[in-house]
Amino acid sequence: MPPAISISGVTKRYGSVLAVGAVDLEIESGQVYALLGPNGAGKTTLIEILEGYRQRDAGDVSVLGYDPQRQRGELNRRVGIVLQRSTPMEGLTPREMLNFSARLYDDPMSTDDALDLVGLTEHADRRGSKLSGGQKRRLDLATSVIGNPDLIFLDEPTTGFDATARRQAWEVVRGLTDRGATIILTTHYLDEAEHLAQRIGLIKDGRIIFEGDIAGLRREMETDTRISWQPPIGFDRAEMLTEWSDLPQGADGRLSLPTQTPTVHLARLIDWAQNRGLEEIPELQVERPDLEEMYLELVDDSQSLEQADGS
Amino acid sequence: MSAADTVRTLRLGFFYMLLNLKTIYRQPAAVFFVVAFPIMFLVIFSSLLTFEIGIPEEAGGNVPVVKFSQYFVAGIMGVAIFGTSFNLLGTSLAIQQFDGTLKQLAATPLPRTSFFIGLVGTALTYTFLQLVIMLILGVAAYGIDLPDASGWLTLVWIVLLGVPAGCVLGIAITKIIPSANAAPAIIQAPFIILQFISGVFFTLASLPSWLQWVAGVFPLRWIAQGLRSVFLPDAYRYAEPGMSWQLELAAIVLVVWIVVGLGLSVLTFKWDRSG
Repeated sequence: MPPAISISGVTKRYGSVLAVGAVDLEIESGQVYALLGPNGAGKTTLIEILEGYRQRDAGDVSVLGYDPQRQRGELNRRVGIVLQRSTPMEGLTPREMLNFSARLYDDPMSTDDALDLVGLTEHADRRGSKLSGGQKRRLDLATSVIGNPDLIFLDEPTTGFDATARRQAWEVVRGLTDRGATIILTTHYLDEAEHLAQRIGLIKDGRIIFEGDIAGLRREMETDTRISWQPPIGFDRAEMLTEWSDLPQGADGRLSLPTQTPTVHLARLIDWAQNRGLEEIPELQVERPDLEEMYLELVDDSQSLEQADGS
Repeated sequence: MSAADTVRTLRLGFFYMLLNLKTIYRQPAAVFFVVAFPIMFLVIFSSLLTFEIGIPEEAGGNVPVVKFSQYFVAGIMGVAIFGTSFNLLGTSLAIQQFDGTLKQLAATPLPRTSFFIGLVGTALTYTFLQLVIMLILGVAAYGIDLPDASGWLTLVWIVLLGVPAGCVLGIAITKIIPSANAAPAIIQAPFIILQFISGVFFTLASLPSWLQWVAGVFPLRWIAQGLRSVFLPDAYRYAEPGMSWQLELAAIVLVVWIVVGLGLSVLTFKWDRSG
């Protein structure tokens, strides 16, 4: 089966701000793929280029074999899109909305099936203005899948949800995957990607900095155990650097050594201390940050888009 | 475009119209301001101003005497024909550009042409309803005389050209609307000005010529003049510019608005201003 999505060198700038920088990506058919990254990382820009909402500045894009920029009409017949924001349709009921949507497609599922798929059957005849946020979100899902699309884009489907509503939404998404469609999901919640996706692309400053499955991401992010300590009085950092080529010093003065072989390095550190008659290494810590913590750290220091040309 | 595609486009345009009609019908405020307003005007003016106009023969004139309401119904129907489409489309499209409704719609296989067909169909339906109510009220309560056969024909083509022309302006004005909240105010301003300079309340001849020129650029003046030809005795054409109903010119102006204006405003239409 050809990949659902295949892009190379996709670039998008807003003025001098680089939103997406030369991204290559291939997404297999039938997968749930999560584009994971903090706000402003370029997720939405990238997904909107794939959906056909935005024009890229450079690069090649093939979505289900179509170029979304030039063949959006054909693409729209086979793609379902759930936008970040729910469509307000105060006057209409879910049933009316879905009946209309079904007419737009060549081979739609029935309105009842779509309602059932997202668990809205009992609210089918309630006006849009009387639906809760979660119910509206489920209607968004139903509207975008009623045409039996081969590819579904979900842009932050659970942002603003409480824990229960998120779990319910995840159930719905899992229901969709059973139908064999490819799903592309953007999210800034690591656990959402973990629960739903087979593959994850981690996007930061407009670039994909990791691609693989969740176990791979775990390995990638958790490789480094951190040994850290407060340099003792009279401690010479330059001397240590011959031992360890890179020894970052935090704002609080702590030295920390990220390493994949903590036991080896710890033995050397203790050796070094004993050779200098030091019985205790001040505030010595050996820690292994968990995935969520590493992710939040990453998210924290990338709130702003990268400036192009270093300007 | 194949025949099957054309049928699909028209069919979906029809269903989009039904969806729109339903949405508007369920918004009491929209129904009141857009649909009921001109009817209310007709009722108030016809009830207050019960005098007659014209110079009868016994007074040495040759201007047939008619009730003021006979004159006024032409103007207010022009407001209904132009205003329903202009107001309805201008307001609802601006709101839908900003709240993401059109962004979502742009992701569906609804053909663009069907979308605009649906909009014009919606405006036509509501205009038709208004005109029927006005005619029934006018005849039953205010003694308005119905037009003759050629008058009906004129009325039909004025509606069929006037409503799409109003839609074009409604679509076009969304470009200068900076936010959804600003939509109603920005749309009302030109609408009120156009009503006063287009011969709806005051005769065109009473306006300075430069204002007549300004009004002549827009559809409402031509719609209102055409409707006066429908409802007033022929002798009243001597009160019009050029002493004629200028129906051919009216048709040309409206068609130009529809063809050029619709083309331009559809091509530059913004589906998403929600970001």
